[in-house]
Amino acid sequence: MKFWIGVAATVALAAGLALSGTNEYFFYAGYVVLQFVVLATAWNILGGYAGYVNFGTAAFFGIGAYTAVVLFKAVGAPLGVQILAAACASGLLGFGTGLLTLRLRGIFFSIATVAVIFIMHTAIVNWRYVGGATGVQLLRPPAMPLFDSYTRMLFVVMAVLAVAGVCIARYIEVSWIGRGLRAIRDSEEAAECSGVPTLKLKLFACTVSGALMGAAGAPLPMYMSFLEPASSFDLNYSVSALAMPMIGGTSHWLGPVIGAILLGSVQQIVTVTISNEINVLVVGVLLVVFVVAAPDGVLGLLRKLKWLHRSSR
Amino acid sequence: MRLASFVLGLAFSAAALAQPAPVKIGMSMPQTGSLGAGGKAALLALQMWVDDVNAKGGLLGRRIEFIVYDDQTNPALTPGIYTKLLDVDKVDLIIAPYGTVPTAPIMPLVKQRGLLLMGNFSFQVNHTVKHDMWFNNSPWTDASSWSDGFIHIGQKAGAKTIAFLAADQEFAQNLANGARTLAKKAGLQTVYDQNYPPATVDFSAMIRAIRAARPDIVFVMSYPNDSVAIVRAINEIGVGDSVKLFGGGMVGLQFTPNMVSLGSSLNGIVNYNSYVPGVKYPGIEDFLQRYAKRALEAKVDPLGFYLPPFNYAIGQMLEQAINATKSLDHRKLADYLHKHEMQTIVGPIRFGPDGEWANPRVIHAQFRGVVDKDMEQFRHPGRQVILWPEQYKIGEAIVPFEKARGK
Repeated sequence: MKFWIGVAATVALAAGLALSGTNEYFFYAGYVVLQFVVLATAWNILGGYAGYVNFGTAAFFGIGAYTAVVLFKAVGAPLGVQILAAACASGLLGFGTGLLTLRLRGIFFSIATVAVIFIMHTAIVNWRYVGGATGVQLLRPPAMPLFDSYTRMLFVVMAVLAVAGVCIARYIEVSWIGRGLRAIRDSEEAAECSGVPTLKLKLFACTVSGALMGAAGAPLPMYMSFLEPASSFDLNYSVSALAMPMIGGTSHWLGPVIGAILLGSVQQIVTVTISNEINVLVVGVLLVVFVVAAPDGVLGLLRKLKWLHRSSR
Repeated sequence: MRLASFVLGLAFSAAALAQPAPVKIGMSMPQTGSLGAGGKAALLALQMWVDDVNAKGGLLGRRIEFIVYDDQTNPALTPGIYTKLLDVDKVDLIIAPYGTVPTAPIMPLVKQRGLLLMGNFSFQVNHTVKHDMWFNNSPWTDASSWSDGFIHIGQKAGAKTIAFLAADQEFAQNLANGARTLAKKAGLQTVYDQNYPPATVDFSAMIRAIRAARPDIVFVMSYPNDSVAIVRAINEIGVGDSVKLFGGGMVGLQFTPNMVSLGSSLNGIVNYNSYVPGVKYPGIEDFLQRYAKRALEAKVDPLGFYLPPFNYAIGQMLEQAINATKSLDHRKLADYLHKHEMQTIVGPIRFGPDGEWANPRVIHAQFRGVVDKDMEQFRHPGRQVILWPEQYKIGEAIVPFEKARGK
């Protein structure tokens, strides 16, 4: 019950902020943080629960964004349709990638997912309809009547996507699917011997994870009013989507949310404060500190502190 | 004692209040990422302009406060940064980041809010948005403006046939298509036309094929790494004695590290540029001398021919418009920029209705007498002999290409 109250409160808060007179910059920065909540949550379904480290986030994210561009250019599809179609396209890509790569394990699986980025990037660079290497400029349609600007509307849309992503991840975590995925993470052979349908579960996780990443990418062309392949398929999306659950904790749906809010906010703040090459260093140092000091993420650290507190009593 | 400090404090506060608020100018500049090296040099030039104006008493009697953020060459960051500049930092004027990609996402924002935007070496970024308060500092306009000088020089040298070698990427293809159209118009027969994948590192087969096709001129549209590899390939293999002119749109041969590392291999190549020593723009030599000193301290591009003068010119144009209109009103400034010719260290600039230069001024120069491992040589006129445009020409092209290379 608490969870659903939290869900309703989050959506209401996002909508309330968007309708208030809050400074427009907040929505640009907030959108990016929420986008990372979706990406980190999506990554955690396969990477955290099943232990398959996916470096291909940028491919699924980019394909979601380009699906939206194609639909917008071809038929002027509304944002909702763009997001649904992007989720389907990236979900299909996730399914296909899973079929081809999920027999690989460990570092070999991770390398195969990196290859997906390069394949998709090359395909888009050579597709003139979506602007090729130069990219494509798009003029935003008017925002819904309730909202003062399109960016405020996108902020609410991304908040809804983030909440939906977290709900899906939580369902997977607490259901038999999550138990199966955890069994795969601990020992795939043992899980297989115990009757866990390992390949089916991994394929499912890969598809859902890909679909969520695609949905997160769909509003990007409208956010930027522009899209080009180099930044859409940027490996930084993959690194951030991986780093955020690591920082927050991979074993619980809340971990990626905490990691995304923490790291995403730091990235946004650093961009407009330090704002030079030290940017990259700050984020890197933060990662190293967390990996060394809190290998199980913020959630693991909190659990440890709680245990220490109890044992001292 | 306490009373004295209080009175003194009040006096200082009053003096501070009496100072007019600064004119805030904001921008994002790629200082990291793929455009970072160029961005830092461009930023130094703009900072020099700010220092110069502040030393003269500022704009409209107010000193300039320059607010800059690093956009990491990431277009996803620029809409947020510019919103912060406008809504949180409350800047009076904005300048676009260097390059097309970081600029494109802010075009709808400035159009929607009716803001003046000074462009910074972007290409056709206003084509879709059609904002009437956009003013680009780049000396090129459309694709053909990059290559018309090269084709003209080739024709003058008696060329009848042409070969094309272009990177298979949108931007390179756009420029190459501009050159193809111009070549067709000029009656040049295409004897070789090859697009190569962007990751190509070995050009020897293509250079041999060009040699076999025996063209009179070879138009190359390549990116920095490719340009270096192509120059090395022609140095080893040669393009044959039929070729009168080689080069055109090779990106990267304007950058100091490439110029120094390629050295004498550059001789004979005719390539586009934005500025080379020898062009007599008023004030540019003084700027470059001052820039050279500060570039050394800032550890950025030591020559700074390609981008920094054009960034300093952005400041000069703003200064001229603000002083003439005595206003920071964006509409008034835009109207002034549309109607008047701007006097800058990169020559006079008059804008067309689309905010690009009414008369593009892409320079085509031939490398001559370049020796290896000497950066200082490029500061002097004569290492890049200007062949185009006519009004800045300081020599004729040496043809054929092999002769120009001294072979």
